Amino acid sequence: MSQHKSINHLQNGETATIVGYGSDEIPIKIYEMGLLPGVTLTKKQQLPFNGPVYLRIEDNPNAIALRKSEADLILIESLVKA
Amino acid sequence: MTEIKIALVGNPNVGKSTVFNRLTGLRQKVGNYPGITVEKKTGSFAHQQTRYHVIDLPGAYGIHPSSLDEEIVYDVLIDKTNPNHPELVVVIGDPFNLKRAVFLYQQIREMGLPAIFVVNMIDEAERSGTSIDVNKLEKALATKVVLTDARSGKGIDQLKAALAFKPNGYAPSFMIPEEFTAATQYVKERTGPSNEYIAWLYLSQKQNKHLDDSQAQEVANARQHHGLNYHRLQIQEALARHASLEKQLAGVVKDPAKKKQYVTERADSVLTHPFWGYVIFFALLLLIFQAIYTWSGPFMDAIDSAFAWLASSTAAWLPAGPINGLITDGIITGIGGIVIFIPQIAILFIFISLMEESGYMSRVVYLMDRWLRPFGLSGKSAVPLMSGAACAIPAVMSARTIENDKERLITILVTPFMTCSARLPIYIVIIGLVIPHEKVVGLDLQGLVLFGMYALGIIAALGSAWVLKQLMKSKYKSYLILEMPTYKYPVVRNVLLNVWDKTKGFVLGAGKIILAISIILWVLGSFGVSERFINAEEIVQTEKPGLSGEAFENEVQSQKLEYSFLGTMGRFIEPVIEPLGYDWKMGIGLISSFAAREVFVSTMATVYSLGGTDDELTIRERMAAEMNPNTGKPAYNFASGISLLLFYAFAMQCMSTIAIVRKETNSWKWTFIQLAFMTGIAYIAALVAYQLLK
Ligand SMILES: Nc1nc2c(ncn2[C@@H]2O[C@H](COP(=O)(O)OP(=O)(O)OP(=O)(O)O)[C@@H](O)[C@H]2O)c(=O)[nH]1
Ligand SMILES: [Mg+2]
Repeated sequence: MSQHKSINHLQNGETATIVGYGSDEIPIKIYEMGLLPGVTLTKKQQLPFNGPVYLRIEDNPNAIALRKSEADLILIESLVKA
Repeated sequence: MTEIKIALVGNPNVGKSTVFNRLTGLRQKVGNYPGITVEKKTGSFAHQQTRYHVIDLPGAYGIHPSSLDEEIVYDVLIDKTNPNHPELVVVIGDPFNLKRAVFLYQQIREMGLPAIFVVNMIDEAERSGTSIDVNKLEKALATKVVLTDARSGKGIDQLKAALAFKPNGYAPSFMIPEEFTAATQYVKERTGPSNEYIAWLYLSQKQNKHLDDSQAQEVANARQHHGLNYHRLQIQEALARHASLEKQLAGVVKDPAKKKQYVTERADSVLTHPFWGYVIFFALLLLIFQAIYTWSGPFMDAIDSAFAWLASSTAAWLPAGPINGLITDGIITGIGGIVIFIPQIAILFIFISLMEESGYMSRVVYLMDRWLRPFGLSGKSAVPLMSGAACAIPAVMSARTIENDKERLITILVTPFMTCSARLPIYIVIIGLVIPHEKVVGLDLQGLVLFGMYALGIIAALGSAWVLKQLMKSKYKSYLILEMPTYKYPVVRNVLLNVWDKTKGFVLGAGKIILAISIILWVLGSFGVSERFINAEEIVQTEKPGLSGEAFENEVQSQKLEYSFLGTMGRFIEPVIEPLGYDWKMGIGLISSFAAREVFVSTMATVYSLGGTDDELTIRERMAAEMNPNTGKPAYNFASGISLLLFYAFAMQCMSTIAIVRKETNSWKWTFIQLAFMTGIAYIAALVAYQLLK
């Protein structure tokens, strides 16, 4: 699975689709919150010093924040070439 | 009348508590932040010959808990012997996250519980042009579906009517994969759950508190024998359910063709900006502090004169004597000493409430996560720490939403260092007595010292968190997966009700303690068994023959107090507190304020009035005039004042906080460590300060 990029590879404003996970030890909350394969998300911004990332999921008015370590585990396929 | 128990279950922040309040007419706290409700709350109402007992539960994303507040949901739903176990579940979702809500709904139905479904916040859906096909949804869920707008109350009558619905004909959508049926069969036979899915839940839950030891052992055996890992089972179920949800809910939600950019998105590009986000957050904190300190001035002056008038007219009206002192000085002035802080406390609560209601609180979590991590805390600790500035009790409870056990424990242990509103009365009085009323580079010196006390609280909290982090181990990885809801206009009514409830709670709580302690102090201070108490008049006459009139009365009174039960207690601990710069009378204040910090000032008022006959002085004048018999200096001089400030900044002088920490940590050990740690630091800081400054 390592040929895939993770959310951390996204630039601000870049959109991508989730294709899988980098480990199967990831918190159940990720699944329950709807960060599932096939879901399209956009990285909006990231806080300094490797702070958390701010994501938006398509069609969802609520935003989601993840730490870099969680973002690393979510693999994506970029929709817009960076 | 028939009685039916119903439970409100749903994802965090969908409006469960708002629906609960609508149904029951109660005022359960709501706020635009996932994790406002952390404990179950019950209420009831009658509708059509039926009494419904409603339980409002914390939000949960699924039946597999990630944090303590979510555990409550599983415990209530799985355990048929739980007093709150419902006969009907009302699953509540919001229109934008329907899949997630249906996910939880399916789990509940497959546990064998009847449920109906509510789509709340329908007003927001309408505003954004999203529509819900109720018929399709009812078919997909095999139950009654109600659309509500709990803020305005729309749809609540339909919801009440729908509670009589008897759902049936539900077909499970999660098929337990064949490879696991041997294990579920085994669990089913040995522990006797009513269906296969419950057996699966036993296997996939980290904890099944409702099972007895032998049943839990059977579940563990099954896991071991079949090589199962509960976490993997959870993931398997989540993926399987989500895979079929798409199809099941096809055509239920119709999104508008043209999407508008959300206001929230635009607001967040500034409010959570990597630079401006922090600037705004700190500006907001400064504004809050400024508001607490300056806006409240006129109100406080008005309250002060009102109580001074009340105390002096009561003193004039009652016959002179010790009872007069008890009522005017101990009780009226003591309660006045609390009431005067209502403006400041209300302003603080207004700001906290606005942050919760608007949705800004989640952004604070996001902004602070990176900065709290080095201290062994999580961004989510920001919520308990900030509300700790009001009161540590709800703050400690709100730590339940922190998933990681170590981060949660550290948060609970350090939150009481934050400057809670009960410290304000002491700080303001002591600062007023020992810090000169001057300006330093254009700033009010007393205000600066108060600001310093707040800063000290934060430093103490973070510093001890850092120490605890080095000492503790955690089995579990820490993570942050945070949902940030859309911004909402705060409902003025909610904010005001919240401020009203909190302020009332503060005043009544403190008022009761003050009343009780004043009476106890008065009794202990008015009786004694020692020779010097009983024969005080004669002893004073022989030892100081020159005294007469008022001076004589004063001397008798003060000797009586010194040798009363109360004085004996104070003098007993005097050796311990003398190095901190306190005399035995202040020692009594320290003892009684162990119940709650805010009673220190009223205790001193009672003690001083017992020891003298002069009724004209206000509490502050009396404190300013008091002499420390050991040093011959004013009791509240610069050195002892700073020492007192430091003592109250660090010491765990609050019985209710101790009780809640015990409950929330479920450990006497940590409660005791915290108490010893805080009192120890307080003692040392006060000692060092006094010895250096005296
Ligand atoms: N527009 C709109 N807002 C609502 C509605 N119902 C609730 N809200 C708001 O949504 C936010 C969350 O409401 P709560 O009732 O605290 O939600 P909850 O589900 O109890 O949340 P937790 O206890 O944190 O799980 C608050 O700001 C409410 O004022 C509704 O029908 N429409
Ligand atoms: Mg709630």
